Amino acid sequence: MGSEADSTQGGSQAAAAPNPFNFQTQVISTTPVKSNVGQRRGHRYKHSSVSAQHQIFQEPPPRPPPVLPASLPTPTLKEAWKSLQRDQRMRLYWGLCHVAIAMFIFYRSGGSLAAMALSHLVFFDAGSAAVCVVVDVLGNFEVWRRSSIRHPFGLERAEILAGFAMSIFLLFGGFDLLSHNLKHILESVGDHEAHHEHEHAHDHVSSNSLDLVSAAAIASTLVSAYGLKNHARIAKVMRVSYLATLPSILSNPFHFFTLFFSALIALLPLLSISLYDWLDRLICAVISLAMFSLGMRVAVAQGLMLLMSYGGNRGDVGVTAVLREIESESGIARIDGAQFWQVHYGLCMANLKVIITNGYDELALGKLRNRISTLIQNRLGEGYGNGGNVRWEVTLETTVDATI
Amino acid sequence: MDTSYSLPSSALPHAHRAHTRSQPPSLNNTWRMTVSSDSLPSQLEDDEDGDHHHDHDHDHGRSHSHLRSKGYSHSPPPLSPSFLHAHSYSIDETAHNHDPNHNHTHSHDNGHDHDHEHNHKHDKHFHSQLHSHDHSHDHSHDHDHHHDHDHSHGVGISNGHNHASERSLFTRTILPYTVGWPILYSILAEKDSRRIFYFMTLNFGFMIIQAFYGYVTDSLGLLSDSIHMFFDCVALLVGLLAAVMSKWPKSQRFPYGFGKVETLSGFANGILLMLLSVEIAFEAFERLWEGTETKRLGELFVVSSLGLAVNLVGMMAFGHHHHGHDHGHSHGHSHGHSHGEKHDDGCDSHSGHSHGHDHGHGHGHDHENENMRGIYLHVLADTLGSVSVIVSTVLTSFWGWSGWDPLASCFIATLIFLSAQPLVFSAAKRLLLTVPEGVEYNLRNILAGIGQQRGVVGYSTPKFWMDDHGGEKLLGIVHVTVARGAALEDTKDRVREYLLKEGIDAVIQVERDGDNGCWCTRGRALANPPQMSKQF
Repeated sequence: MGSEADSTQGGSQAAAAPNPFNFQTQVISTTPVKSNVGQRRGHRYKHSSVSAQHQIFQEPPPRPPPVLPASLPTPTLKEAWKSLQRDQRMRLYWGLCHVAIAMFIFYRSGGSLAAMALSHLVFFDAGSAAVCVVVDVLGNFEVWRRSSIRHPFGLERAEILAGFAMSIFLLFGGFDLLSHNLKHILESVGDHEAHHEHEHAHDHVSSNSLDLVSAAAIASTLVSAYGLKNHARIAKVMRVSYLATLPSILSNPFHFFTLFFSALIALLPLLSISLYDWLDRLICAVISLAMFSLGMRVAVAQGLMLLMSYGGNRGDVGVTAVLREIESESGIARIDGAQFWQVHYGLCMANLKVIITNGYDELALGKLRNRISTLIQNRLGEGYGNGGNVRWEVTLETTVDATI
Repeated sequence: MDTSYSLPSSALPHAHRAHTRSQPPSLNNTWRMTVSSDSLPSQLEDDEDGDHHHDHDHDHGRSHSHLRSKGYSHSPPPLSPSFLHAHSYSIDETAHNHDPNHNHTHSHDNGHDHDHEHNHKHDKHFHSQLHSHDHSHDHSHDHDHHHDHDHSHGVGISNGHNHASERSLFTRTILPYTVGWPILYSILAEKDSRRIFYFMTLNFGFMIIQAFYGYVTDSLGLLSDSIHMFFDCVALLVGLLAAVMSKWPKSQRFPYGFGKVETLSGFANGILLMLLSVEIAFEAFERLWEGTETKRLGELFVVSSLGLAVNLVGMMAFGHHHHGHDHGHSHGHSHGHSHGEKHDDGCDSHSGHSHGHDHGHGHGHDHENENMRGIYLHVLADTLGSVSVIVSTVLTSFWGWSGWDPLASCFIATLIFLSAQPLVFSAAKRLLLTVPEGVEYNLRNILAGIGQQRGVVGYSTPKFWMDDHGGEKLLGIVHVTVARGAALEDTKDRVREYLLKEGIDAVIQVERDGDNGCWCTRGRALANPPQMSKQF
């Protein structure tokens, strides 16, 4: 553009007088030139003398660096893969194996309803094994544990959410199996053709594949139970009392059901054909009911956490007892508000507002705070025996009672 | 708070105030009472410019319930001329409409206009959409306030409307009889739960009829469809339970109330839909593999069209909700467009609408009802299922290729899965106590402001999360370290007041500088060493 203007101007000059030089001032710019007369230009630079004099740019007030990062980076798949340690990688592979076994059982179950029901159970196991692995891997990252403004409790609550989703799977699976079972019964009652087909299928299945199926289920459950500590955390929250007396992993309802039913299914082919057909359905129904009730319990246990409630150690009763004890402390007039809730498997919060009597000095206040937090930790944190490590974070807001 | 000076937010409260004044004094008293019993914060905030919205909104809600109790019905109050083109259909909207010379109010009208055909939740989003469009992201505060406004706006409308026109004749007739059963009454009194309840009843009735006919005629298709119906009923029952529970008060067991129940139920419904879609796809592949031919086409056709009819009723009942939510949601993109097309009358404001997705984060925290959205998606999935069966039966009867049905199923399964995904994600975010982006930005500033309070040396372990009960409020804890020489009590009060002013209800623990007894000091020592205390 500049050169164009140049040439035209040069041309007009040449027409006037043959002067090889161009003495006129020229504006060379790429944009159309605007005159700046009468227009104010802002102060662009805060360090210019004008700005410094007129305080147009004010420094922001000095602020301490934030205590918490606003948000921590959430790892991508690639980063997660890179962060894997050796044993974590092994666990990941095993988790995939478990899923593969579940698929295998599902496809091999063919005509046997009980085996199909078992495959649902194994699917659930595989799913929570996968959750275990993912939780393990995410634990490598800061965003998981450390709180930021974005995620005040880290991402650890995601495990609860995943568990809740798994419990939905259990419920869904239970329903699904029931409906399948119902359909089968309806078919066998109403339609003879379908019935025949199924008998045929049964003969096909019952040879030795059921043994294989149940063996695979048992093996995978055991490996997951010991290798990944599958279901360990959920089971602690649930505490099924009538199974608690059983030894080691059998006391875990999830492992118990899988092992029990796969053992049962392994015995199934030993029975006569006529009995087999009904027993098959019966086992399917029992499994689906078990899945349903178990899913219900898991959903409630985790739903409570997601609803920001405390359902752990004796739940509400325990909290009431603790509150009563705090109230009886000398110097505490009353409790103004108390919020006890569980954030995730390893963390609970107790936020208390207490009114203290006048004339409490600071040293005593600090002691009181310590006393209360150890009290809560001892009473509600399941410290002993179970190997549980629920941490209680206690926040105590004290207000001096003005009326006394 | 700088944004509270911007035009719309400062214009709206005045209108509201005028409105409030027009209410009988007794009404105001009742409201005051609620506020004072509710919490101190809102009273304090009354003096704050920005928070006026919120309070006055509550006023609105109350005022309408008041109207309702008086048995106020259709007598449209004097309408402003600009408003006449919008339908003159209810008191609430007109009462809501402030000075019409304000352009924001005008677009509000448009929203209403539009909304009349859909629903009220809708206009809330409209409102917000328009506003959010006008303001840049930085103004999220302002934006928030609008949200508050909108939210209660919706409440106000729903209250008033229920009684003026929306509560059907049927409801009005049976409502007095249900007083004896408090549960039933509470279900019927609320709009959401009432809808779910009616639809559930319809579904259940249809299921019984279907099962009966299926039994009599020995038809497997009917019977298995009634099983399916039963599952739908169960899902609806869960939704109904959540809708009722969400109104339950706080207790020691549930210190933050039941605001998350609906989110939880929405999450569960979303997961359920995902599982369902996976199952459908699985079965479809299986059928495609084995090539089972579809039998008894006629029966299937009849059953699925009946199911379609029932589900269409459900769609109509729940559909409004969904639209509204979609707008507020970050993926409202395409919907925005479709609305623009549908409602040409309000075009000028609608056209800007499609930009809504930019602001998705801005109002992701709005109290959108995940429960209703989940139910809507469920019904939608069923409807799609029926449609796919109908289409595939027709195609099969014409061409006789048995692959149509699995193909349609696969297609539907993908659709269901994709539609459930955003619901699951947004519900998950809420349940994880994630602070949405816009709020987080403000929160960082507010937290930095704690350090500015007199006597404060520093603070640690600030943990804040969204309150479920009101737009922008935050709950949480913070431990404040107090300088030597400053009174603990006073400093605490100052910090508390400051936080309340910013809309945060926190439990504040004060500690003397140098006292490292609390657990929070351990965390701090690990997280970022001493730099904090050196500053001062």
